[in-house]
Amino acid sequence: MNGSKSLGLMLLTPAIVFVLLFFVAPVILTAVFALTNMSTATGITGGAYQVTQSSLRKLAESYGQAELANTLAETRYTVNEEGLEAIAADGADARLVAEMRAKLGGRSFEKRRDLESAIKTLNSRPRNTRALKALSDTFHRSIVNERFESADAMLRATTNLGVALSADQKSALADATYTGWVWTTQNFTRMIALPDTQRTLINTFIYVFATLAIFNTGFALVLSIATHYMPARPAGIFRAIWLLPRISPPVLYVLLWKWLAWDTGFLSNFLANFGVAPRNWLLDNPTNAWIFIVLINGFVGASMGMLIFSSAIKAIPGSLFHASEVDGASRWQQIRYIILPQLRWPILFITCYQSLSLLTSFEYILLATEGGPGGATEVWALKTYLTALNNYAGNLEYGYGAALALVLVVVGVVLSLAYLKVFDFKTMVRPPRIEQ
Amino acid sequence: MNIIPKKAFAIGLAFALSATVASAEDYNITVWAGGTGPNDTYRIDAIKMAADILERQAAIRGENIHINVEGKAYDGWEEFKQGVTLSAESGNAPNIVVTGHEDIAAWAQSGLIVPIEDYVDLGAWPINDIYPNLLKIASFNGAVYGLPQDAESRPMFFWRDHMKGIGYSDADIDALPAKIASGEYTLQNVIEDAKKMQDAGLVEPGYGFYPRVSNGPDYWQFYQSFGGEIENQDGKLVFDKSAMQKFYQFFADAVEAGVTRKNHIGTPWDQWYNEVANGKAGIWHGGTWHYARYTSKEGLDDFFGKIQFSLIPAGDASGNANTITHPLVYLLTQQNDENVESIAAELVTIASEPRINALHAIKSAHLAISRSESGVDLYANDRWASEATERLLPDATAIPNNVNFGQYWEIMWGGLEAVWTGQKTAEQAIKDVETELTATMGDAIVIR
Repeated sequence: MNGSKSLGLMLLTPAIVFVLLFFVAPVILTAVFALTNMSTATGITGGAYQVTQSSLRKLAESYGQAELANTLAETRYTVNEEGLEAIAADGADARLVAEMRAKLGGRSFEKRRDLESAIKTLNSRPRNTRALKALSDTFHRSIVNERFESADAMLRATTNLGVALSADQKSALADATYTGWVWTTQNFTRMIALPDTQRTLINTFIYVFATLAIFNTGFALVLSIATHYMPARPAGIFRAIWLLPRISPPVLYVLLWKWLAWDTGFLSNFLANFGVAPRNWLLDNPTNAWIFIVLINGFVGASMGMLIFSSAIKAIPGSLFHASEVDGASRWQQIRYIILPQLRWPILFITCYQSLSLLTSFEYILLATEGGPGGATEVWALKTYLTALNNYAGNLEYGYGAALALVLVVVGVVLSLAYLKVFDFKTMVRPPRIEQ
Repeated sequence: MNIIPKKAFAIGLAFALSATVASAEDYNITVWAGGTGPNDTYRIDAIKMAADILERQAAIRGENIHINVEGKAYDGWEEFKQGVTLSAESGNAPNIVVTGHEDIAAWAQSGLIVPIEDYVDLGAWPINDIYPNLLKIASFNGAVYGLPQDAESRPMFFWRDHMKGIGYSDADIDALPAKIASGEYTLQNVIEDAKKMQDAGLVEPGYGFYPRVSNGPDYWQFYQSFGGEIENQDGKLVFDKSAMQKFYQFFADAVEAGVTRKNHIGTPWDQWYNEVANGKAGIWHGGTWHYARYTSKEGLDDFFGKIQFSLIPAGDASGNANTITHPLVYLLTQQNDENVESIAAELVTIASEPRINALHAIKSAHLAISRSESGVDLYANDRWASEATERLLPDATAIPNNVNFGQYWEIMWGGLEAVWTGQKTAEQAIKDVETELTATMGDAIVIR
C-alpha cells in the first residue's frame, strides 16, 4: 500500500511542479506586483539612488529641504590637486598633469562640455574621446545624475563632497532620490476612484454573459442536438464547418470580419445597392461593436461546446431513445427528458470553463475594436493588457496592471466555487452506490 | 557602488587603450528601431555604414577591430516598446535603440539607458553642429541622453482642387499658410471649409476633415491650438481644463457638422493613406514623412500642384498656430561592458554625420538634424525638405520628456475618444479626465 502511495506521489510530481510554476507562482507574483507602484520607470528588479533635477525638486517641495537641494544642484567640474594626483597615480602623461595644473588648476566649470573644451586647448591633451571622457570624469565634484546602488553609497558620496547631513536630511534625501518601486495600496484606491472602472466591469459582464449564453453553451447545444438528429455524414460536415473559426489564425479570422464590416467592405458595398450610405459597421456605435464582438467570439467559442455536447449525446444509450419513441415521445420530449438531464455535467463543464476563459480573453476584441468606439467594448482583461503592456511613452504600468489582473484572479476563483456549489459538484463525483 | 574605484579603473583603461595597440577585437552591436517602415531603413543602415568607417579608422591607427551590426526593425511601436522594456528587464537589451524621445524619461529613471554625453564629445563635430533645440529634446534632467536621429513636423494638409472648388483662388491658397501662421484662419474655418466641400459634393460626407486614425503626438497640437500648455517651466505637467475642453469640443463639432466621421478612429492606415493621397479628403493632418508615402506607394505625381500644407491652425485667440516635432533618437542602453558602450557611442556619432543622416532624411522625407546637413546636395536640392523646414520648423514644439507623461497621454486620448465617438460630452469627459488624473498622478500634475 505504501509503495503505491509513493508511486502515486511520484507520478503526480511533474503536475505539482507545473501547477506551482505556472499557476501558483504567477498568482503570488501578481498579488505582490499589485501592491507596488512598479512601472518601466521604476524597474522590476529594484531601483537605484540618483540625484536629478526632478528628485531635487521633490526634495525641496515635498520634504522642505530647499537649501540642501540648492547645494546639491551645483554640478561642478573642478580641477583641483586631488583630481590631478588621481590622474597622475593612474598613469596619465606627466606633461598633461603639469599642463593641467598650470593652465586649469583651481578652475571650476559648470558643464562637463566646458571642461572638455578647455582640456582640448592643451598641447598634451588626450587624443581620443574615451580618454577625454575618463579624464573629465575624474574632476567631477558633484553627484548630480550619478546612479548609486544603495542609499549608503549615495550618502557617503554626498558627505565626501563636504555636505554635512542631519539624520532628517539623510532620510529625506534617500526617499526623494530613490528611483525604484515602493509598496502601496494606491492601485486599489485608484481603481475604485476611476469613473471608467465601473463601465469596464459592466462591459466585462455583458461580454462574458452574452457570449456564453448565446453561443458558447446556447448555440453549441442547438448545434449538437441538431447534428444528433441529422444523418451521420452531413452532421460530420456540418460540425467540421463550425470548427473552422476555431482553427483559423485569429489575425486572419478577424481580418475577414473587418473586410465584411469596414466602410469599404462587403456589407457597405452590398447595402449601397439599396441606397444605404457606406459606414464602418463594426465601429459605428457601441451596439454594433457589441454585436460584432459577441459574433466574433461566439463563432469561435461555440465549436468547443458543440464537440463536448455531441460526444456526450452519443454516449447516451440508444435504447433510451428507442424506448421513448415506442412510448410516443416527441423530439422535444426526448430533448427535455433524455438529452438535457444527461448533459448536466458537460454543461457545467462548458459553463465553468468558458466563462473563466472568456473572462481572461481579449485577443479578438483587441484585434477587432481595440476596445472602441470610445472604450465601449473595453473589457477588464483588455484594460489590464493595455495598462501593463502598452504605453505610448514607453512607461508600462506593471503595478496597476497587476492590480487589475488580481481582480480577475479573485473573480475567477469566486466564480469557480459558486459553480461547484450551484451544480452540486459533490453529489456528481460521489462514488457509485455499488462501491459503497 | 563606490564610484571612485570605477573611475580609477576607467581612466586607467582609457590611458592604456590610448597608449597601446589592441589586438583583434570583435564586437556585436544590436540595433532595434521602432516605427520603422520600408522608407526608414537608414535608421539601421547608417549604423552599419558607421561600423564600416570605424573599422577602417581603427585599421589606419593599426588596430584591428571587427564590428558586427545586427538590426531589427519594428513596423509599429507597441511591440517595439514591449520588446525593449521586457528584454532590458531580463538583461538582454539591444545596444542601441531608435525610438521616440518621450521614452527617455521613464527609461532613464529605470537605468535602462545611459546618458550619451558620458560617452560622446558634445563639443566636437558632428554633434556640436546638431540643432541645439533637438539636443534639448533628447535631454532629461539636464543630461543629454540621446542623439537626434531625425526631425519632422506635423502639418495640416489641404487638397488644392477642393479648395478651389469652394471659391479659393490659387493666390488665396498660396497665402493660406501665412494666414494660418498669423492666426487669421482658425480651426473653425477648417470645419466651415470642410462643410462647404461636402455641400458642393467635392468630397463624400465625413471626408471634409479627415484626421489621423490613431493616437499619436499629433493630437497634442490641437490642445496647444487652444492655448494648452503640456509642461510648465518647472518641469511639471499641466492639465489646462479649458484648453482641453475646447480641443475635445472641436472634434465633437466636426462630427456634429458631419465633416468627420464619428467612427473615424480605427480606420485602417492603408485605406487612409490611399484616400488622402488621391483627393478623397478635403483637409487632413499628418506628418512631413507622409510626403514619401504619398509620392511613392500611393502614386501622387504632383505633390506641390495638388496639396498645400501649413501649421496646425490656432483654435481661438487663446492659442497659436503650431506643430509638434517628434524626433526619434539614438539611445544607448545600460551594458556591463564599457568598451561595447563606447563602440556603440562612436557608431551613433558617425551615423549622425550630415552626409549619412541626409540619406535617411531624404529617403524617408524627414528633416535635417544639423546645420551642415541642410547644405548636403541631396538635401539642399530636395524641394520638400527645404520648404517644410522653412515653413514648419521655426514654430515646432515638442512633447515633454516627463516620467508621468505617458499616463497623462493615455488619459487624454481616452477622453478624446469618448467625446469623438459620442460616448461622453466634452464637459463630462473633462470631469472624468480630471478625476482620473488626480487619482493617478496626484500632485505630479498641475490642474487649472
